[in-house]
Parts: sequence; C-alpha cells; structure tokens
Amino acid sequence: MKVTLNWLKQYVEFDWSPDQLAERLTMIGIEVEGMQKLGGEFEGVVVAEVLTRDKHPNADRLSLCRVADGQGERQIVCGAQNFKAGDKVPLILPGASLPPKPGEQPFTIKIGKIRGVESQGMLCSPQELGLPDQVDGLLILSPDAKVGQPFAEYLGRSAGDVVYDLEITPNRPDLNSVVGIAREISAVSGNPLKLPEIQLGTSSPTSVDSLVAVRIDDAELCPRYTARVVRGVKIGPSPDWLKNTLEKVGIRSISNVVDVTNYVMLEIGQPLHAFDYHLLTSAAGNRPTIVVRRAAEGEKFTTLDGQQRTLTNQTLLIADESKPIALAGIMGGQNTEINEKTVDVLIESAYFKPQNIRATSKKLELRTESSYRFERGGDIGICDWASQRAAQLILQTAGGQLASGVIDAYPHPATRKEITLRHHKVCDLLGVRISAKENVKYLRQLGLEVSIENAEEYCLVEVPTFRVDLKREIDLIEEVTRMYGIEHIPAPPPRGAIGSHPYDAVHDELADARRILTGLGLNEAQGQTLVSDKSAGIEAAIPLANPLSSDMNVLRPSLLPGLLDALRHNLNRKNNDVALFEVGRVFGQNNGQVREERRVAIALTGLRHPSFWSGNDREATCDIYDLKGFLEEFLEQFGVRGVTYTRRPDSTALYLESATIQLGKQTIGELGQLLPPLAKRYDLRDAVLLAELNLDLLLARRNTAKTLKPLPAFPTIRRDVAMLVPETTTHEAVLNIVRQTKPQNLESVQLFDVFRGKNVPTGQKSMAYAFTYRHPERTLTDAEVNAAHEKLVEQFKLQLQAAIRES
Amino acid sequence: MSFHDQLEPLKQAALADLRAASDLAALEQTKGNYLGAQGKFTALMKQLGTLPKEEKPAAGKLVNQAKIELEAALNERRAELELKAALPKEPTDFTLPGRRRPLGKLHPLTQVTEDIVRSFRKIGFVVADGPEIEDEYHCFDALNTPADHPARDSQDTFYLGTPTKSLLRTHTSSVQIRVMEKQPPPIRIIVPGRVYRRDNADATHNPTFQQIEGLYVDKHVTVADLKGTVEFVFQELLGEEVKLRFRPHYFSYTEPSFEIDFSSPMVRKMGKEWLELAGCGMVHPQVFENVGYDPEIWSGWAFGFGIERIAMLRYEINDIRLFYENDVRFLRQF
Repeated sequence: MKVTLNWLKQYVEFDWSPDQLAERLTMIGIEVEGMQKLGGEFEGVVVAEVLTRDKHPNADRLSLCRVADGQGERQIVCGAQNFKAGDKVPLILPGASLPPKPGEQPFTIKIGKIRGVESQGMLCSPQELGLPDQVDGLLILSPDAKVGQPFAEYLGRSAGDVVYDLEITPNRPDLNSVVGIAREISAVSGNPLKLPEIQLGTSSPTSVDSLVAVRIDDAELCPRYTARVVRGVKIGPSPDWLKNTLEKVGIRSISNVVDVTNYVMLEIGQPLHAFDYHLLTSAAGNRPTIVVRRAAEGEKFTTLDGQQRTLTNQTLLIADESKPIALAGIMGGQNTEINEKTVDVLIESAYFKPQNIRATSKKLELRTESSYRFERGGDIGICDWASQRAAQLILQTAGGQLASGVIDAYPHPATRKEITLRHHKVCDLLGVRISAKENVKYLRQLGLEVSIENAEEYCLVEVPTFRVDLKREIDLIEEVTRMYGIEHIPAPPPRGAIGSHPYDAVHDELADARRILTGLGLNEAQGQTLVSDKSAGIEAAIPLANPLSSDMNVLRPSLLPGLLDALRHNLNRKNNDVALFEVGRVFGQNNGQVREERRVAIALTGLRHPSFWSGNDREATCDIYDLKGFLEEFLEQFGVRGVTYTRRPDSTALYLESATIQLGKQTIGELGQLLPPLAKRYDLRDAVLLAELNLDLLLARRNTAKTLKPLPAFPTIRRDVAMLVPETTTHEAVLNIVRQTKPQNLESVQLFDVFRGKNVPTGQKSMAYAFTYRHPERTLTDAEVNAAHEKLVEQFKLQLQAAIRES
Repeated sequence: MSFHDQLEPLKQAALADLRAASDLAALEQTKGNYLGAQGKFTALMKQLGTLPKEEKPAAGKLVNQAKIELEAALNERRAELELKAALPKEPTDFTLPGRRRPLGKLHPLTQVTEDIVRSFRKIGFVVADGPEIEDEYHCFDALNTPADHPARDSQDTFYLGTPTKSLLRTHTSSVQIRVMEKQPPPIRIIVPGRVYRRDNADATHNPTFQQIEGLYVDKHVTVADLKGTVEFVFQELLGEEVKLRFRPHYFSYTEPSFEIDFSSPMVRKMGKEWLELAGCGMVHPQVFENVGYDPEIWSGWAFGFGIERIAMLRYEINDIRLFYENDVRFLRQF
C-alpha cells in the first residue's frame, strides 16, 4: 500500500519529519518497506508578504524590505520597483535554487550582503521562476494568497512529497486506505481525523429510483449494494492534482471519472465501479435493473482487460437484465466501460463476501486493487459515504448533475459489535500499569466508541465496521499495547537470574576436559577426598582433627593417591589393564591458609591395546610415551598450546623418572613412571605411568578460539634428514635449531625414527626427520627448497655435531 | 579344409582353454599359446594373405570377429581371476572379535550430575559452586542452625586439624549463603558438589558423597513454584511415570519445610510405596536477613538431594562404596 506524506496531511495534522513519520508508523505495526522522496517544483519558494519597503542606505536603485515568510520575518534587499508594502510575492529561501535556464547550472540562493546590507533570500520575478508571465519586476500574487504556503501549492503545481510503501498485515484491511493510515496517525498523535466534508450541491429533481433499480439475488455473497447516477458528465483527462496523486502511488491516470473511483478507493478503502449508464440494457421504456447474481455454469464474460473468461456458478456477477456487466468486486466488463462518449455514469459501491471474492480471484487468476481489498474484508458501513464522495468528485472534475437520492440495497444492516475490556487484563498481559482512563483514551483515539468509561473494572467498546480485526478482548489489549508503545514497556531480566554465576561457564569447561579424556579412551574415576597420610607421594596434607580412621585422616593434596588406590583395587581383582583419569579438587595449605585447587590426573598400567588375537605388539604394555600421547592430545584439544617438558635429573619420592610440564615459565604439572618399590607396595606389576596437571591454571591459559586456515592448494616438497647425534641431544634441541634457523616455507617437522644399534656407534643415536615445505600461493621449486633446507642441515652439523646419514 | 573350417574349432579350443585357466599365470600362458607371436591363432591369421582375393574380405571379417571374441573371453577370465587372487586364502571369520578402540566412560556420578544440570538449565538455572572447606558461619549459623543444634554435633562433622576452626561442609547449602552474600536477587542456581559427614563407610554411607542444591529467589516465589520445578526435574530424571509426594518436615533453614518422596514401578518392585528422595522448603526469613535480603520483598525456595541416591535408584546399585572404588568393570557399564 502506497501513501504520500501530503495526502496523509489532508486528513490529519502532524509535524513529524518524513523520517519520524516512518518511525512512528513502524512502531504502531505499519512497517515502512520503502520511502521515496519526490522533488517538487519551486522547492524552497514560498508565498511571502512584504511588510515594509525602505530605501537601501547605500544604493538608490535598491530597496530594503522586511517580509513575512510564514515562519518569521526576513530582511531582503530587492532591485524591483513594481511592489509596495502589503503585496504578496514569491520568496526563494537561502539554500534553494532557481529553476535552471536551459544550458545553465541552477543558481543557489545564499545569505549574503548586497552593498553592505544582508539579504536573507530573494523576491522573485516570473522570469526568474521560469514562468511565462511577462512582468517588469516581481510577480505580484493574489491578495488572498496564504503567507508561508509553498509556492508550488499556490500555483496548484506538484509540490515535493514523500511516498511511503507500507506493508499492511492481512488482519487490518482498514489500513489499505489513506484515511485508514491517517486514522492511526490521529490515534498516536492525538490530533483529530478530518474526513473530507461531502457537499453534493443541489441534485437534479430526477430521482435515482426512476433511473435504475437494484435486485440482489444472492444476499449472502452481496450483503450491500448502493448505486448513484450522475448525468451529463464530460469525460476527459483528470485535473493535475488528481492525476499527480494517483501517479505518485503508482496508479495510471485514465480519465476523470475512472480516476475518481480509484482515488476514492485509495482514500477510504472502498472499491467502486463506474458503469456507462446508457450501455445498460433495459426492457423498452423501463429503467434498467442491476442484478447481483451468480453466473451460470460456463457463462462467458469479457472483462475490461479484454480477456474472455469462463465462469462457474460460484462466480458472483453484476448484471443487467440481459447480460453480465462486471465480475463482482474484481473487474468491470468491457461492455459497460466508461468511454469518451459516456454521458451518464452509474456509481456502484457495494460489499461482497471476502471468501467468495478470494475464491473467484484465485480461480480466474485475476488480482486487482479491488479484489485485494474485498477479499481481505471491506467496510460494509462505508459504502454510501464512498458513493457520495465519488459523486462529489465526479461533479467536481467531470461536471454533470447528480440524480437525487441513492439506491441502497442493504437487506440486513450490520449490527455493531460490542466488546468488553477488563482493565486489569491489560496490566496482567503487558506487565505494566495502565490506568482505566488511559485505556479508554487510547481506544477512543483509535476511533472506537467507549461507554461506561468511569468504571474502574471494565469498559464496553463498540467496534466500528471498518475494524473487522477486533473480535474479542485480546484484540483490544493489542490496540492498547500499540498506542501505549511497545518501546515503553520495560524489559526486566527474566524472572529468576539467568547466567549470573561465574562458575556456570567453568562447569562446562570441566565437562569439556572430561569429554576429551573419555574420547581418548580413559575411564573417569572419582576417588575419595579423604585419604591416608601414609599414601604414596603424600608429603604435606591437611589433617582432620577428628578422623574416623587412619585410612582417611587427611584431605588429598593430589589426585594421584586416589588413582593409585583405584589401580590397586583393580589389579587385586585381576583387572590388569587400567587407564583412568580424575577431575577433582585437592587441598593444600599456604602460609596457614587452606587452599582448594582443581586438578586433572591420569594413571595408566597394563596393556597398551585391548587384548586382541593377533599382532606382534599385542603384549606391549604402556610406557611413558603412551602417557605423553594422552597429555599432548588432551592439551591440544583443550586449547593449551606451547607446553614444554623438562626432565628432572633425579628420581623423586614418587617417580623413578619424571618431568615437569611447563607453560612458559609456569609449571603446570608433572608426569613420570612410579618408583618400582611403590608399585610393588600397591601390588602393581607393570610399569605405572602417572601425570597430574593443575586444571585451574589450564582454564586460565586455555584458548578455544578457532579460525579456519585455508586448505592448502599447492603441493608440498619433503626432505628427509637422518643424523647421528650424541645420546644427550634431545628432540627439543633439534626443534630449537629449526626455530632459530626458520627455513623459508617450512610447513612441518616430523620425527619418524629414532634408532640405536647396527651402524650406530655406542653413545649415539640416529634421529630421522621429515621436513615438509609448502608455499601457500604457488608451487615451490626443488632449487629454492634445497637452498633453505641445506642451511638448516648446516646448522644441525654445526650446533649438534650431527653426522648426516646419506640415505 | 576351408579357412572357416579351421577357424571355428581353433576358436572354440581357445575359448575353452581361456575359461579353464586356473590362475593369472596360466591365463597369460594360454593367451601366448593362441594370440602370441608364435600362437596358433596368430598363425592362422597369417594364412589370410595366401587366400584368393575374393575370399579375403569374408575371411578377414571372420578372423576379426573371432579375435574380438577371444579378447573378450580373456578379459572376462582375467577379471575373475584377479578378483579370486585378491581374496584372502581362507575366508574371513566375521564372527571373530574386532580390534576395539574403546571409548572411555564418564563416572556414573558425573553422568547423573550432568543430567540434573541439563534439566535445571532448561528452566533457567545456572551452575554455581563454593568451597568444600567451610567455616561454621556459612555451614551452620547463616543457615539458621544455632550452636546447640543437633546437626552441629561434632560427631557428624569433620573438622580440620588446623588452627582455624575450619570444617568440611556437611551440605551444599553453604553455597546458598556464599552466593546470596555476593549477588542481589533474583537468584536461580544449582550447586552440585562433594559434601562430608562423619559416617563410617557401609553400603549406604560414605564419608564423602555428593549433593545437588537448588536455590530460587525472586518476588512472589511460592510453594507451588517449588512443587512445579521439583516435579519437572524428577520426571526428567527418573521418568514420566514418577509420582512425587511432599511431606511436612523440619530443616532449620527452610520454613515451611518438606521432604519429597517418590513412587514409581521400581519402588513398588522394591516392595515399598514411597521412597524418600530429597528435602526442600521455602527459604527461612532469618536466612534472608542473614545475607541482607528483605524477606518482605523476596521469597524463595531451596532443595537438595544426594546424587548417589539418584544414581543408585536409576541404575539399581545397592552399595554406595562402588562409586569410589573405580573398578573398571563397574565404570564401563554406564
């Protein structure tokens, strides 16, 4: 539905800017889908009144004037001589431009000094405005011109305007009209709705009854049909205002009478049809009769778009006594169309059953502005008003005389519906207090009649015929909501706090850790918090003051004692292969302060793989690299990178051999193999591998952000290096050299073999690495890879005393 | 003998030999015998040149057709033999066990806790936690449990052997106090965690066990809200057929207080009608006053229950100690 700003302003006053209007409409449920500003003629030119005219102090031929522009007063310097105080003249305001002369740039008016005196605009001659009048000096306007009126409006030319394209929801057919939109604006602004006054002047003594009769055969499909006749019209082009108005909203101007029917439809939402009265057939000497009937099955009819259509007995027709003349509510017929020879016009204004119009429109694949409105539900109460309005405008634009009276076939006039609104229901639903008085005010502003207004409990609302959407109380509450403004309803947080404890996210992070570790094949254990102070690896633990037994006399300072207990329990029951982890709290003391810390620990013993009936390594038991593999995968998946491992030079109270795990300079945990005597104490036979990490530190250092690295599009070049190095040389030392040397385009380094024995001197080992090179944007050449790779190999030789084994 | 009379028997012999080849090597041998440089078929083709001119086209056509036929038979047999060669010598025993990549299992108490947390989160609760080492104030006084209250008997509570009068919390309710001290209402939290009671371990007791606590504080919170929430959560946890019963009870930090019993086909199988499940009630105004909430404005409910108890009911576990032994045969069942 398209409307324009100026058209709306004819029915309701408001001083919102075009953008503010768009905002207000959107917020009351009329979404503005598009907004188009139309430049008008004489932009920035207004009707002004000359208040005083004096001589310019510095120039004889110039005058200094004070003029009223409708907003205030301005000082203007003028060179014309043909005017006096009291004259109405066109004034162009600073910032506006005079119409350009052919081949010239438009001239823009600025505030400036003329001979030392400021001039705030310019009074215009007709030549300057590009008007045909030949005047020496200013264009003097008629004395009754309204000061401040846009000059274009004074001339009846198209002024600037804004076209709004509105999305009308299907429940509000009343908004498919300019008056409907204006009514909403009236409701939110509180300014009254001004419907055009209908003055039909003196009608001819001939009454419409003598000219035509109406017979409704199917009152269910056509509950109301009105007819008026205007005689003696002159069909011709529409006046500019009518043509412009229609064209702005996208309706093609056809002729004055047809345009009027379209204009009234857009104005009030009631589709109308005009027939050429003399093309109606009647029995000789009789007035014609309009018959509203169903079509016969297979009846043919040519609509005014020239299409012949085959109808069914579900189609409602407007007919005369011998032929159909219109598809009711959808389109008129070619046979009675208004044409240039038309002299007498019959105006139809009716109401048709929406379901029937929808079905016919769909079946014939014929959608028109008229069917669109009828199928959504028209206003049965507005038929006569719309007919009068059309008559008025036809008389105004096409002349003629209106036959007196109206035929209004309306067998069962609609009764107005009443709905009760209980005021407390509004508050209950909206969650804000709105008083009974306010409710009533809002409903009245919407054009609804409200009785029993002073009752605190409820009011009775009479629903006008145009509001077909208001069916029950909840619909009224919706109206109050729109008027109150959804933006004014507060948005308190959901009842009961949501997401307001810092641990909530941590809980999920702990679950992540568990998920990764179980995914790796470890089973989750939950050990006792209370353990014995005699447990392995316990040095300092918080004792209980009142323990139940010496088995449970301290708080665990580590998860490892509990895991060792679990291993023992399993081994004693011949579960020889055990891989467990635990996520839990441990307790310690710091300067007399008790401290709780989250940890994750892993314990492995027994076979590396589940028992299988074949394979060379099926007897392999877990070693430290199994444990390290779990840790590496866990840390990477958990989002902790850059972890390093440093071997402790000596055995500890718990470990035969072990390493600390570091993140930068911070120690975050340890891993190692349990001392064999301790293993024996716990009845454990195979190597026992243990690791424990501070989970609080991992949570703090975790980074789970992921960004896709583009998948490589170019091939790699691989270079293998096998080198003999002293036993003391670590893998980390090799990597450090790679990091220092930074070979160009090196993508990855992979250790694929460590070998001792044949051809390797005692005290040395052979380490074999694969270096993979890749450029992200092109294929590398052997030569450039070799250059980078050789530098790296040189560094291995130099810094590691490596002997490169040629393969 | 006409050319055709020679060709046809040779072709038939070649086809039979190709089909009879028992492996790929034999097939290649047969191919050589007929189609190789010295092959019988090749020899016959060479005779073409010696034929009278008028016989040549027909004979040539015959030879070509025969050659196409032989090659088709060769390819077909080769495909058959290649497929045969790819098969293992002995048929695979699909009933043998596969090489398993075992998935680790979450501890049953973790699984039950996660299920409870998931149910509560659906209705807007967040997870909160607090320290396990507590002071007497948060564990007792703030919860309206005065010093002479039987629940404060040191027979039931573990105290630490440190100079501070610290203790191991006997219930997760201490976290209610800590959370309310820190943040203003409304509050909607659940608190899973370990608690400690000085009970000797037996089939139904372990000095360490786990509870989950729910706390909801807002304006106009009612007993009806409590009942609705509890029913929702327990039906999610234990099944739609579960029936709940609220019995008046006493806890120092709620008023009124209730115990929640439940009934289900399983309970009836155990020969009982109702089984005790949880304690709950409306937060005592004194507790609100202790944390600086105005009990005239705010109301709330709290409830708590043992996680082991839910797990034992759900999985029909009859000894609480199994949870803390971590026997892999136990862990792998859930």
